[in-house]
Amino acid sequence: MDLTPRPVADSGSRRRRRWLPIAVLTLVIAAGGVIVTQFLTSAIDYYCNVDEIGAKDGCEAGRRLRVQGVVDEGTVSEDGTATTFSISFGAVSMPVRYEGEPGGIFKECIPVVVHGILEDGVFDGDRIEVKHSNEYKAENPDRVAADDGESKGSACSPSA
Amino acid sequence: MTASTATTGRPDRVTGTPFTRALGIVTLVGVLWLSWFGLFVTPADVNQGESVRIMYAHVPGAWLAYLAFVVTGISSAAYLWRRTRSLTWDRIAGASAEIGVLFMGISLVTGSLWGRLTWGTFWTWDARLTTTAFLFVTYVGYLAVRNLGGSHHQRARRSAVLALLAVLEIPLVHFSVELWNSLHQEASVAGNTDVTMDGLMLFTLFLGVIVFTLMYVWLLLHRQRALALQDLVDDTGLDLAIAARRAEVG
Repeated sequence: MDLTPRPVADSGSRRRRRWLPIAVLTLVIAAGGVIVTQFLTSAIDYYCNVDEIGAKDGCEAGRRLRVQGVVDEGTVSEDGTATTFSISFGAVSMPVRYEGEPGGIFKECIPVVVHGILEDGVFDGDRIEVKHSNEYKAENPDRVAADDGESKGSACSPSA
Repeated sequence: MTASTATTGRPDRVTGTPFTRALGIVTLVGVLWLSWFGLFVTPADVNQGESVRIMYAHVPGAWLAYLAFVVTGISSAAYLWRRTRSLTWDRIAGASAEIGVLFMGISLVTGSLWGRLTWGTFWTWDARLTTTAFLFVTYVGYLAVRNLGGSHHQRARRSAVLALLAVLEIPLVHFSVELWNSLHQEASVAGNTDVTMDGLMLFTLFLGVIVFTLMYVWLLLHRQRALALQDLVDDTGLDLAIAARRAEVG
């Protein structure tokens, strides 16, 4: 079927403005502004690696940071309400204290991003995000055993 | 309203053809196949457990949204180029952007749920998430601009220029995980020579991409025709259009 519009009235431009698209556009520009602000203030370099603290611009102790590291094996312990563990990256380790129980798929030997402030050598975290890798393996004991686990670059093997 | 019947025997003013009907059936079968494989046949992930199943909708949604926005860009360029200028290109651009926004929305919602299950948070201002949100909002704005009014060619010219600017965001979104430290994992499949994914998972992911592509083409054909009908109604006025149709039938 022929759906070509007949070229009848296209020459005359109608001044038919509708309020809905203008309202949407206003919202879009506002949302875009918020997103750009977030992007410029915090999101560009999302986190510092543990070994970058004190070494890289913006990764100083005493200011609010997001730090990435792999949770060290055997360091996770809970005392009352807080969870303590240490994370390391590039052979540098850092103790972390977190009020509460980490969510997601938090466990040993997994890379995490902790939000908080480094004070007196202990990173006081108030938010933990688990950074899972882009490796997907079936939950199958045979295949896991066959894998040598070189991807994490450490001898760490999570207790499943 | 009963549709009048054209000489072909098909009801008048529908957007379906035998091809789209067949495509729709194939797509539906594909969706069922993908659901079956994604939810039951594929294994759970060693780290992420059952939540990895979200990937089969999240990743194809994002890829097809990129594709839809690229199609919008190409169609807009084809409209702007004098020798191929046609409102059909403009309507393909608009229809594709609508579907792209839908798929990006699917990807954002599923990504947010997946993030809660694995990272432990629904949303975070990470490079990938932030650039994706910006891309989504840009194309919602593009759709609003399309509806600002004016003649069809005014609409087409204005939105085509915007589409050509907006499509430049896509490389930024895709490479954001490599340009900056990001919570989001890097590309697992695209542009990666060393894919580390279980075979059945990878197959199901590609199945998802194929099913979403079929869905995209099916929606695009229908939506493009619907937009053409809408333009037709705008152009001639409903009464005129009906009168013309009656004249053709009678």
